[in-house]
Amino acid sequence: MASEPATTVELELEQEQRLVEEAQQGNLDAMRPILERYAGPLYGTVILPRLGDAASAEEVLRDTLATAVEKIRRFTWQGKSIYPWLRQIAINKVYDVHRQSKRSRRLADAMVHEIDVETDPASHADAQLIADQERRAHRERIDETLQQLQDRYRTAIELRLVQELPREDCARRLGVTIGTFDVLLFRAVRAFRKHFGEHAERAEPPRTGDT
Amino acid sequence: MATQDDDTLTGSVPDPDTEPAPAELAHARRFAELVDKTLSGRTPPAMSADDRALLEAATVIRATHGSVELAPSKQRQVVEDALRQAIGAPAPSRGAAVPIARARARRWVPWIVAGTSTLVAAAAVAMLWLRGPAGTGHAGPVARRAEVPPEWTSRPADSLVGPIARDHAGDASARIDAIFADRLDGFRARRLARGGKP
Repeated sequence: MASEPATTVELELEQEQRLVEEAQQGNLDAMRPILERYAGPLYGTVILPRLGDAASAEEVLRDTLATAVEKIRRFTWQGKSIYPWLRQIAINKVYDVHRQSKRSRRLADAMVHEIDVETDPASHADAQLIADQERRAHRERIDETLQQLQDRYRTAIELRLVQELPREDCARRLGVTIGTFDVLLFRAVRAFRKHFGEHAERAEPPRTGDT
Repeated sequence: MATQDDDTLTGSVPDPDTEPAPAELAHARRFAELVDKTLSGRTPPAMSADDRALLEAATVIRATHGSVELAPSKQRQVVEDALRQAIGAPAPSRGAAVPIARARARRWVPWIVAGTSTLVAAAAVAMLWLRGPAGTGHAGPVARRAEVPPEWTSRPADSLVGPIARDHAGDASARIDAIFADRLDGFRARRLARGGKP
């Protein structure tokens, strides 16, 4: 096995380990390539899908990365990517935001709980794999909720929010006026939000890590 | 049947064919415009709590389907801000992000300036102290002064005027003329020594 060429993942892990060690020795700037690599997946698959607000998501991402740099000495390299550690910091920060805003807690709890069960950070070495799996899990959860909506509501959401067609095109496809389509989308999002949060009342999301 | 849209988040959602009340129609239109702006990246900062909650749900759907990503420039800025926040450096006053290496270097600038100034001052004091006992510090100007002809230098006019007797006290203009003529001679001699150039 030792004579086999190292895979891309192994090389990336090796480089990541070197950067982490450098940062732990005091060169915090060594964290830059790691942060640049994982900022996108953290934003797109961990933070924004749980917050739904781009401005807040940016704030949480910034706090997450800053906390990671500040606490890098506490991180213990276990032969796996640092991504699960970053992800857990992000989830805790997201949960803090939702705790301060009870209005959106049901929505957040649904995502936080569900995805923590779906992806065990300790079981994968590749950050990309974790991000992909998380994206898939989010999507399944969303699709499951969409299936519970009435057909016209589901179609309105798919046309406007997934395919991002203009309102005029959406209305034409559904054979209604723009005003009627606006009402359909409005009710559809209301219905989605109600169904999406219902699972959350069953359990509190797990909060792990010391961040 | 018309519905009253009085509880957007917790109230029951009517069937798609239910006729909307004017209030719901207006709210739906307002929400549609918010979605329009959000899709074009111009989410307004101010909106009602209910609208924000619905817009968050809409964004969750979009984000899950990969429609929302952080722009590369924004991502770079967030990383820079995070690094800066972590090392405790102040944020730049405006515009683009300052690379963290430069931000860190800035922290040392006052110390570098203070250290350099101290070294220069110490070197100057040491040089004065070392040169002082040799007595060469004053030799230069004295030697140079000796080389200049007396008529080119500033000097007393006593030799021209001599003691002023009481009865000649009113001849000040004659004395000034004598001094002027003497100084003019010196000026001419200096000028001629330079070949007539000033």
